[in-house]
Amino acid sequence: MSLDDEAVAAIYREHGPMLRRVVWRATSDANRVEDIVQEVILRVWRQAPETDNLRAYLITTARHLIVDQHRAATRRPQQTALVDLPVDDADLDRALDQVLVEEALGRLQPDHRDVVRCLYYERLSIAETSKRVGAPEGTVKSRAYYAVRNLRAILDEMGVTR
Amino acid sequence: MTVGSDDLHVLLGGYLLGGLSDADHRAFTEHLRGCSACQAELGQVSGLPRLLDLAGPAGGPHLSPDAEAAEAVAVDAPDGVDDARVARLLSAVAQKRRTRRRWLAAVAAAAATVLFGAGLWLGPRLTAPPDLPTTHVVASPAPGSSVRVDVALVTRGWGTQLDLDCEDMPTAGQLTLYVIDRQGASTAAASWLGTPTGYSRLTGATALRPDEIRRLEIRDGAGQVLASATT
Repeated sequence: MSLDDEAVAAIYREHGPMLRRVVWRATSDANRVEDIVQEVILRVWRQAPETDNLRAYLITTARHLIVDQHRAATRRPQQTALVDLPVDDADLDRALDQVLVEEALGRLQPDHRDVVRCLYYERLSIAETSKRVGAPEGTVKSRAYYAVRNLRAILDEMGVTR
Repeated sequence: MTVGSDDLHVLLGGYLLGGLSDADHRAFTEHLRGCSACQAELGQVSGLPRLLDLAGPAGGPHLSPDAEAAEAVAVDAPDGVDDARVARLLSAVAQKRRTRRRWLAAVAAAAATVLFGAGLWLGPRLTAPPDLPTTHVVASPAPGSSVRVDVALVTRGWGTQLDLDCEDMPTAGQLTLYVIDRQGASTAAASWLGTPTGYSRLTGATALRPDEIRRLEIRDGAGQVLASATT
């Protein structure tokens, strides 16, 4: 394998599954997911960006590609490339952010994720969460702290900065 | 109960996600008032609740105990990468091959770093929070009022974004956030209706820069001040 091949294969192995999930969730056409993902990686490879955050760059590229395709599909209604979708770019951005947030939650380590679920989504107290997860309250508090920090870091790394 | 400031610091997580006991909530808000490190840290993560809300009431498929959702994740997340796909991608690369030595070196280095796991890049981030232009204030309830309002002031090019987190608010009627400038002039920066839970989270805006804001007041429909904060 040449250097180029190795680099592209490395990006694909490292980031392909995440990109596929994101694209799959943001578009509704399963047949085109792989095409979009490969196009994203090829574009990024061609652009050879100077970036220390390749993941965010890939996601931004995917975002542009999806928006472009969505616009094209809107102009030609018979070609339904993207579904349950969003009338304007703001909606599309929100839909993508939603996918990225869900993806980020999936990348939290499981005991941090459990704490986020209990405290934030189920609105349990620290004491109730402690019983639910079978860990002392002090542990729940520190997990909540690191869950918040890690989630922010994961989202930053994905280029979700708001 | 005596707790050191390290213990208090850690309460930021529960403070943001919810679930602190009243005593811990009070202890942390007290601590927050005087701790610039926690204020800066809270500024960094104060956007998270709005992002978490995007994932829907249950936090999306990764958090859902629901079997169907779990299956959806499994279906759309094939493990590994099959070689046929890599081969197809590589043949596309072969057609477009160019020399990208500098970039390739960077990618190779990045790929190597990734192998060591996420802990490495989380490390420096945790110890060196960037200096974000966000300050955080806790509004004190007016006499006879029990509302709790936390305000994050986020510096924007156009002025100041005011992120409010309100608890134990009146459950009905209009509520208004006023910003009062150095000259004492007050302007409404947000208005909303009380919710049955007494809990609401919202964002207001003002053209004033944070350093031009002297006070914030939350008033009810009759103009009665429920809580105020001096910045």
